[in-house]
Amino acid sequence: MNNVSVALRGLVLGTLLSTTAIAACAQSEAQQFPVATKTLKNGMKVLVQTDHSIPNVALYIFYRIGSRNEHPGTTGLSHFFEHMMFNGAKKYGPGDLDKAMEANGASNNAYTTQNVTVYQDWFPRSALNLIFDIEADRIQNLSFDAKKIASEREVVASERRTSVDANNGGILDEQLKATAFIAHPYQWPVVGWMSDIEHWTMDDLKHHFEMGYAPNNATMVVVGDVTPEEIFQLCEKYIEPIPQHAPPPPVTTVEPEQMGERRLIVHKQAELPLLMIGYHVPQTNSPDFYALNILRTVLVQGESSRMYQRLVDKDQIALEVTASQGPAFDPTLTIFAAQPKQGVDPQKCENAIYDELDKIKKTPISDVELEKAKNIRLVEFYHQMRTINGRGNTIGTYEVFFGDYHKLFDAATNYGAVTKEDVQRVAQKYFAANNRTVATLIPDNGEQGSAKQ
Amino acid sequence: MNPERKALRFVVGAVLVLGFAWTSRAQTLKLPPHEKIVLKNGLTVLLMEKHGVPIVDIAVIVKSGSVADPAGEEGLASVTAGLLHKGTAKRSAQQFAADLDFIGAEFSADASADYTTISSEFLTKDVDKGVDLFSDAVLHPVFAQGEVEKLLAQEIDGIKAAKDEAQSVALNYYYGYLFNKHAYGRPVGGDELSLARIKRDAIAKFYETNYTPGNTILAVAGEFNAAQMRAKLEQALGGWKAKPSLLPALIGPTAVKGKKLLLVDKPDSTQTFFVFGNIGTAENDPDRVAIRVVNTIFGGRFTSELNEALRVESGLTYGAEAFFDSRKEPGAFAIYSFTKNESTTQAIDLALQVLAKLHKDGVTPEQLASAKAYLKGQFPPSIETSGQLARTIAAHEFYGLDDDEINQMEARIDAVTPAMAKQVIAKHFPEENLVFMLIGKASEIGPGVRKYATQQDSRKISEPGFWPGAK
Repeated sequence: MNNVSVALRGLVLGTLLSTTAIAACAQSEAQQFPVATKTLKNGMKVLVQTDHSIPNVALYIFYRIGSRNEHPGTTGLSHFFEHMMFNGAKKYGPGDLDKAMEANGASNNAYTTQNVTVYQDWFPRSALNLIFDIEADRIQNLSFDAKKIASEREVVASERRTSVDANNGGILDEQLKATAFIAHPYQWPVVGWMSDIEHWTMDDLKHHFEMGYAPNNATMVVVGDVTPEEIFQLCEKYIEPIPQHAPPPPVTTVEPEQMGERRLIVHKQAELPLLMIGYHVPQTNSPDFYALNILRTVLVQGESSRMYQRLVDKDQIALEVTASQGPAFDPTLTIFAAQPKQGVDPQKCENAIYDELDKIKKTPISDVELEKAKNIRLVEFYHQMRTINGRGNTIGTYEVFFGDYHKLFDAATNYGAVTKEDVQRVAQKYFAANNRTVATLIPDNGEQGSAKQ
Repeated sequence: MNPERKALRFVVGAVLVLGFAWTSRAQTLKLPPHEKIVLKNGLTVLLMEKHGVPIVDIAVIVKSGSVADPAGEEGLASVTAGLLHKGTAKRSAQQFAADLDFIGAEFSADASADYTTISSEFLTKDVDKGVDLFSDAVLHPVFAQGEVEKLLAQEIDGIKAAKDEAQSVALNYYYGYLFNKHAYGRPVGGDELSLARIKRDAIAKFYETNYTPGNTILAVAGEFNAAQMRAKLEQALGGWKAKPSLLPALIGPTAVKGKKLLLVDKPDSTQTFFVFGNIGTAENDPDRVAIRVVNTIFGGRFTSELNEALRVESGLTYGAEAFFDSRKEPGAFAIYSFTKNESTTQAIDLALQVLAKLHKDGVTPEQLASAKAYLKGQFPPSIETSGQLARTIAAHEFYGLDDDEINQMEARIDAVTPAMAKQVIAKHFPEENLVFMLIGKASEIGPGVRKYATQQDSRKISEPGFWPGAK
C-alpha cells in the first residue's frame, strides 16, 4: 500500500460539530495547521506539518517499544538501547552521528517510556538530507561494539544514580509501581534495575533491535520549514527500502484487579518525607480519558485547584501536591504526590487527599470548575501548538496512543462533551481505597549511616 | 519518569539570551519589528506583534534582584516577587488564583541576582482580563501577614526538599563559595536561616523602594494590535506613581587567586556532584560571541571536549558541561559533572586535563566551523514563541544591548577567527586559579580530593544555609 491520504486536508471533519465556543476556537486553529500523511510500502506512517515561521525542522520517530516489552532480568533494555542508537551504525560509526549532526547545525535527543522509544532531531532545513541519511543508517545497520556497550552501561548507571539514588521522587515512584503492579510489565522502572543494567548481554541487545526497530513498528512526524512532498520523497529514497519485519509480540499480560489497598514505606536519609498514591486507571485511548483529565485539572492544576487550596493554602501541610498520568497503551496509574512540610505526618496529607476525592464522589463539581478545567485544556492545546517541537511531539503522541492524530484536534470537542456527572462517575469508579497503592518515604536520620544498615 | 539520553541539567537563566526570528529565506535572521515607549511615569514599554498563535505574553523586568537583599535577609527579593499575586487591594489570594485559572492564564514572578522577572500569559481573547490581573498584582499587592508567614514557611521547607536532591543545590553552594562576600554569592531564594529573619515590613519596604515605574521594563509580545495594546497598557499602568529610585551601583567581583575546595557532605550519596571554575564574564562582554563559540566546543554541546572525555569515551558520567552564567557584572564560569563515588578523582582529573588541553592546543578550524554551524542552526527555536521574544527584548533593554545582538549575530559568529579563539581562551577560561565545590559522601571521597587545593573547607548538607558569605 502506498496511501498518500488527501494531502493538506483541513482537519475539521464536520461530523463533530459542537456548539461550544471552545471547540469552535480549537477547530479553526486546527485548520491553520493541516497534517499530510503517507504510509510507506514498508509500513512506516509519516505525518508532515508545514510551518515556515522559523527556518528549522523538528523530526520525531516513535517506535512502539518500551519497558513494557521487556522481561525480568533485562529491565531497562529499551532505554539502554535508545542510548546505543547513537553509538554507531554502518555509514556513521561510533561518535560520527553526533559530530555530523552538530557540524550541520543539528541537535538530537531521545526518550524512553514504558510504551515507546522516541527519537528527536532539531535542525535547520539545510540538514534535511543528512538527517534522513543518519536515521536510515541506524534503523537498518546499527552496530554492536562491545567496547561501546561497556562504556554506555556505565553512562546509564550514572543516569540511574542521578534520577533515582539522588532523587527521592525517583525512588518512591519506582517502589510504588513495583507494588501497584504484580503481573503487568509496568511494574519495573524504565531505566531498569541496577543489577539488570549490569548484566544484560550483547544477544539481549540484538534481539531487542530485531524485535522493536522494524519500520512498520514506527511513526515519523516532521514539522517545520518543509513541504510534505519533499519529506515523502526523502522517505521514498531513504526509509522505504528498509524491509519490514515482525513487530514485538503483543503484551498479553493483564494486571489483575486490585482487591485491597497496598502500602509500602521507604526509610532513607532525607530532610523531608514524601507521599505518593497510585490508583489503577484505564489506558489512554479509553473513553474515560477526557473525564479523568478534567478531574485531575480540578483537583491539582493551578492555585485555585481543590487540593492546592486544601493541602498547601488552607491546612498548610504540604509544599505542593500533584497528580500525573502519562500516555499508556495498557491500563496505567494516576499518581498523586504530595511533599509534606517538615514535621507534618504524611498521613495528614494522605487523609486530606482522600477527603477531597470523597467530596467529588459525593457532590458533583461546580459549573464554574468544569468550565475552568475546559478553558485550561484549551490553553494547553495552544501551548503545545506554538512551537514546531511541541507540535511534533503532540501530533505523534496522539497518533501513536489514540491511533489517530485527528484526536488532537477533536480534543476540545471531547473535553467539551464531559459533564459534571462524568467527572463524578470516574472519581467513584477509579479512586476507591481497594484500588490504591500508598508509598511513603520516611526520613531516617539516626546514628551516622544507620539508614544504610 | 522517562529517562532521556541527555539530562536537562542546570537551567541557567541568562546564559543564552539569544534567539532569532526569520524574516526572509535569505541567510539573515532579524528580530521582528518592535517599538519602545517611555510612559510619563518613567515605565519603559516594549511592544512586539507576533502573529500565529492567539496568545499574549508579558515579560517584566524590575531592575532589582537578590543583589538588593540586605545582608542577612537573603531571599527578600524572591519572597517579595512570590507574594505579588497572593492578595491585592481588590482580590484575595484565592480570588486572584480563581480569576487567573478560570481563563487558563499564567502568572509567575521570580528574582534572579540582577533583577526580578514577572511573566504572564493568556489567550488574546482574554486580553482585558489578563492585563487587569497582571497590573493588579504588580501595582497593588497587600502582603497580608498570613500570606507572608505561609510563603516563608514554604520557602524554608522548599530549601530542605532541594537539599534532598544534590544537583538542585550545587550552584547555590558553588556561587556562595566562589563569590564569597560579593552580593552575587547570596542564595537568590535565601536559606533556612535568612528566610526566618524576614519580616512583613521588610517586604513592604522592598516593594516600595524597588517596584517603581522608572525601575521597570515591560515587554509585551504576541497576537495583538500594537496601538490597541499601548492604549490598554497606558490605562492600566499609567497611574503607577513615579518615584525617584536610588539604586546603588554594584561593583563587579574579582577572580579568586589560587585554589580552594568546599566539600559538602551528603552521607547517602552514591555519586559526587562537582562544580569548579572561577569568575566569568558580564553579559555585555565585548568577547561574548567568541566566548560562546569556544565554549560550545569546550563544554556547551553533546560532542564538546568535556562530554566526549567524561561521558562518550570513558563512561564516567551521564553528562559533563561548562557554562558562563553571565550577569550585569561578571558572573560565574563553571565546569559541572557527576560520577560514582569511586571514580570521583578520576573524573575531576580528566576534566582538568580537558581544560589544560584547551589552553595548550586551542581549537581546530574544523571545530570552529562546526561550532559556528551548531550555534546558528540551533538558535531560531530560541525565539520561536511570543514568550521567548518578550523575555529577549526585555533582557536586551536591561543589559543595554541593541537589536544587532540578534540581527548581526550570524555575521558576528562567522567573524570569529582562530586568533580570536586563542585570545578568548587565554583571557576568559581559568587555568591555575580554581574554586572547587563537591557534594558527596565525605567519608569515602574526602581523602582523595585533598590534592586539588591547599585551602579546604567543609560542611554538612543538613547544616542550614549554603556558605556564610556576607553574613
